[in-house]
Amino acid sequence: MNATVNPSDQDPVEPTDDDLRAAEYVLGVLDAAQRREVQQRIDTDATLARRVDEWEQRFAPWLHRVSPVEPSALVWPRITQRLGWRTAAAKPTLRDNAAFWRRTAALATAAALAAIAFGLSRPQPQAPNVAAEEAAARPVTVLVRDNGAAAWIARVDAANGKVLMVPVPSALDGSGRVNELWIIPVGGAPHSLGFLSNDKAHTIAVPAELRNAVAAGAIFAVTLEDQSGIPHAAPSSPIVAKGSIQAI
Amino acid sequence: MDSNPQQLRDPANAAIDDLLHQVAAGDRGAFEQLYRTTASRLLGTCLRVLPDRLEAEDVLQEVFVTAWNKASQFDAQRSGGMTWLASIARHRAIDRLRGTPAAAVHAPIEFAETTADPAPAPSAAAEADAERTRLDECLQRLEPKRRTLINSAFFDGSTYEELARRCGSPLGSVKSWIRRGLLQLRTCLES
Repeated sequence: MNATVNPSDQDPVEPTDDDLRAAEYVLGVLDAAQRREVQQRIDTDATLARRVDEWEQRFAPWLHRVSPVEPSALVWPRITQRLGWRTAAAKPTLRDNAAFWRRTAALATAAALAAIAFGLSRPQPQAPNVAAEEAAARPVTVLVRDNGAAAWIARVDAANGKVLMVPVPSALDGSGRVNELWIIPVGGAPHSLGFLSNDKAHTIAVPAELRNAVAAGAIFAVTLEDQSGIPHAAPSSPIVAKGSIQAI
Repeated sequence: MDSNPQQLRDPANAAIDDLLHQVAAGDRGAFEQLYRTTASRLLGTCLRVLPDRLEAEDVLQEVFVTAWNKASQFDAQRSGGMTWLASIARHRAIDRLRGTPAAAVHAPIEFAETTADPAPAPSAAAEADAERTRLDECLQRLEPKRRTLINSAFFDGSTYEELARRCGSPLGSVKSWIRRGLLQLRTCLES
């Protein structure tokens, strides 16, 4: 048994000092509002920022105890698009650059070392990791433009009546109109699911009366519409991207 | 030993620090190399608290956009580059988790009656650096409830409220156990 002094667990411990608040922030036990408060203060309070840094260092060994997972090929292009860099055309240019390849060779060793340093598993492996990922694995529907380019990925959560929409970020057409998402049931008319961002992933709540419409065979479609009046009764412009739901 | 970030300056970490400095100077090639070198580990970091793959990959994008925009704030004297990046990833993932409360459902927490050893298996421990060993050693000295809760809190990103629900103990007790545990950890790590 450890020899730790064990003060009564009933004694309240209030986070009277900022250091404890910093520790709670780094540990990850604060709720959304408390986290925002700490994050806002970090920007203006150098002492609190330093305390948070110190706790990050204390917990760093656990921070690095992760199993690496290779991101999908879509992530890098979406990052460069968000940064406003040239998209598809930019990559070959980078790859052709001799300096890039020299750097790649030089870093191969470093990457191997990093894998050793960071590839350790967590101390108490917990079954929910795998189980939760399995439970979250669902088919996706890709919405493509007329030129065949992927524009959004839709992931339907039928049990909760939600659709997660992940865009390949793109510019709007400058007309001031915004994207509106529609569900077109088999043999039916389009129903609006509301506003759709062109550059941020977000979850759309499906109105109860439309949940049955979001099913295999139905089509997700996107049109450009005036922001006012969303959700509209019917689309007023051509479809800019669409995808057929293959499976939920 | 203290937890000086310099301990983490092995060659791999130094390479990441150097890449971040080049990124701060606007080097896009270095940024792509940084992505190739660290993205899989950072996605692992996101997935640990945010098991939904699409959400985690979306957070990963935010992490790299942030890294590009804030690389000039990276200070190798205060933090290793990988720690800096992984902290951004972990906090972004927790923030996203708070926005989608049903995103991660975790198993109930059961407190072991014995002082079971949650330290890494011997093979992993052998590879562990001094700092890791110290944190795990200090955790080992905590009373079992505190140790279990702090471990669950860190690896699952659960709030006090969620932890209280998961272990079936009053919220006040859970807060008290964790806060006392954190203070003990700090003292132990500084000793």
